[in-house]
Amino acid sequence: MPVAPAYPHAESTIAMGRKILLVEDDSETAAYLVRGLSEQGHNVDHVADGRDGLFLATGGDFDLIILDRMVPGLDGLALLRALRAAEVVTPVLILSALASVGDRIEGLDSGSDDYLVKPFSFAELLARANALFRRADGKAGTADMRLIVADLEIDPLARSVKRGGRAILLQPREYRLLEYFARNAGRVVTRTMLLEQVWDYHFDPGTNVIDVHVSRLRRKLEEGSEQPILHTVRGAGYRLGPAE
Amino acid sequence: MTLQVPTSLRIALLAVTLALASNLAVIGFIHWRTYDDAIDAQRQRVVEEAAALSDVYRSGGPAALNAALHDALTEGDPQLLVAILDGKGTPRSGNITALAPPPARLKAGYRDGQVRIAKAGKPIDAGYVLRRLSPTRWLLSGRSYGERLALQRTLQRSLLLAVALSVLLGLVCGLLIARYVAKRVSGIAAAATEIGDGDLSRRVPISGSGDAFDQLGQQINVMLDRIVALMQELRVLTDCLAHDLRSPVGRLRSRIDAAMATDDEEKRNLLLAGVVSEADALMRILTTVLEIGRSEAMASRDQFAWLDPRELIAELAEMYEPLVEDSGADFRLETRGVPLPLFGHRQLLAQAISNLIDNAVKYAGAGRSFVVFAEQSDRDVCLGVADHGPGIADSERAEARRRFGRLDTSRSAGGAGLGLALAEAVAHLHRGRLELEDNSPGLRAFIAIPTGA
Repeated sequence: MPVAPAYPHAESTIAMGRKILLVEDDSETAAYLVRGLSEQGHNVDHVADGRDGLFLATGGDFDLIILDRMVPGLDGLALLRALRAAEVVTPVLILSALASVGDRIEGLDSGSDDYLVKPFSFAELLARANALFRRADGKAGTADMRLIVADLEIDPLARSVKRGGRAILLQPREYRLLEYFARNAGRVVTRTMLLEQVWDYHFDPGTNVIDVHVSRLRRKLEEGSEQPILHTVRGAGYRLGPAE
Repeated sequence: MTLQVPTSLRIALLAVTLALASNLAVIGFIHWRTYDDAIDAQRQRVVEEAAALSDVYRSGGPAALNAALHDALTEGDPQLLVAILDGKGTPRSGNITALAPPPARLKAGYRDGQVRIAKAGKPIDAGYVLRRLSPTRWLLSGRSYGERLALQRTLQRSLLLAVALSVLLGLVCGLLIARYVAKRVSGIAAAATEIGDGDLSRRVPISGSGDAFDQLGQQINVMLDRIVALMQELRVLTDCLAHDLRSPVGRLRSRIDAAMATDDEEKRNLLLAGVVSEADALMRILTTVLEIGRSEAMASRDQFAWLDPRELIAELAEMYEPLVEDSGADFRLETRGVPLPLFGHRQLLAQAISNLIDNAVKYAGAGRSFVVFAEQSDRDVCLGVADHGPGIADSERAEARRRFGRLDTSRSAGGAGLGLALAEAVAHLHRGRLELEDNSPGLRAFIAIPTGA
């Protein structure tokens, strides 16, 4: 039975020393990302050219590749396809100004693990990067492992949820929402991540449709309990975990 | 340097060449089929006979010649013509009565002409040789053409004439055609020049005859109408974009100003969060405009897959259920008929229908209910929403579909006016339509996608 780690306050202390390859030709964006990711304790290699990117990506042992779609030398999607053809399975997060739904689907279909549209908030990028690290580590757990977050206990096989021993009855979609939160427990999960991962929609609904779902789930989780467990992180999204 | 030949001249030359070539082909064919060497053979024979008689005269004198002529005439060759002429060309002896027409001057040598063999008879065609024996005596010897040879001679002459005529007619035709084409083309060219110079209201003149030039002109005019409409749309869109982006950018600015002015950190954070959400809203407008453009340009059709319309509707209903409930409205899901599977873009269809649901939530009002439906009609799968809100008047429907289209203030609560425009673009992407119908009262807004497409 895996035991949930104790969650420290800052995100940075969890994900120490990841090796990240950044393929981005815009120097300002690149500098912003290198600074931000380094502050989080990651080790960032930056190249501005697609060919250099492919060379490093196939040789180096990276935990994550952040890839701009439009880089000189070799187009981002071509780089990605070459990488996957060479059986390099490093998680890839595409960063692109190509924002239409069709572009996103094309990017995901080309073998990327996530697609983030420019302009983006650093919080969003970090949340997505962390989710990818976690998935690659297998820390998110296999499908049948029990998930425990503080006094919350989730059994993916029975699809049952208990908090402090008390059973909570959830709708199927609420359950999937909670399971996704639990697999990313302690980390910020953004609204668009939820929409993409739980609903498989890649468009921006522009309304608070996701927030309403989350607050319903929160009501059910926190009913009859003193301790809040599903937190709103202002300007970013939500976090499931014990209060900080 | 290449020689610049005016098009009209080239057309004229082409017409001449073609007329000539076709005429010459016919003439040549007739010539080939009718020509034989009978005429040449007869001519040769006439020349030889004349030489023989002339030899007789030279060796035997007038007496021998007369004897030879007499012999020849008594042999009874019906075609043979011999005569002794005086200096004026009047036959003195022999079997012809006159040259027709009587020549002004006699000339030695071979010629084709007409002679009379009876005083009142019709002149007949003949080939003969004239030889001068003395100043007052000329020897004529020749042969009349038979009917067949005469006909053939006429034919050959006519063919020659025909060649000359065809050259002339070809030239005339060519010039006429060139003039006509140049006139019609210059009408189109003049219109094109003016359009190119910026007068987009100019159209190609139509003669009304419905010929190929008219068809070309009409096609060009239809194309111009479409271009003008698109440019108009683009201009309106650009204006709207510039106008509609002013207010969010303005709000953004004022919040940033306020955040910079305040000393209270809590307040500043609140204002900055507002800045972020304004920026997101701005991005959303831009992305939606882009999405509409892409859908209208039929992009992403390669991402189509088969999907069950009922499933799509059910998923969206499930997604919107809490939001609708919180807004105080309620809705139910309806399926009429058995909607056939759709070949479409799940993401874009979902976005389009979610826009329709959003509108229903906004306009149906609290305490009201609406219907989210999937319906199979004769030819279409219809996916949409029927509410009992204020609806959209007939006269306002075109405005409602427009990008940044604004209806009266009661309907423009929030939103950038892109929802229906996107729904329509997605419908077009699926070769379908966005229908806005009266739900008496209220609005029935749905995307109708032909099942055959």
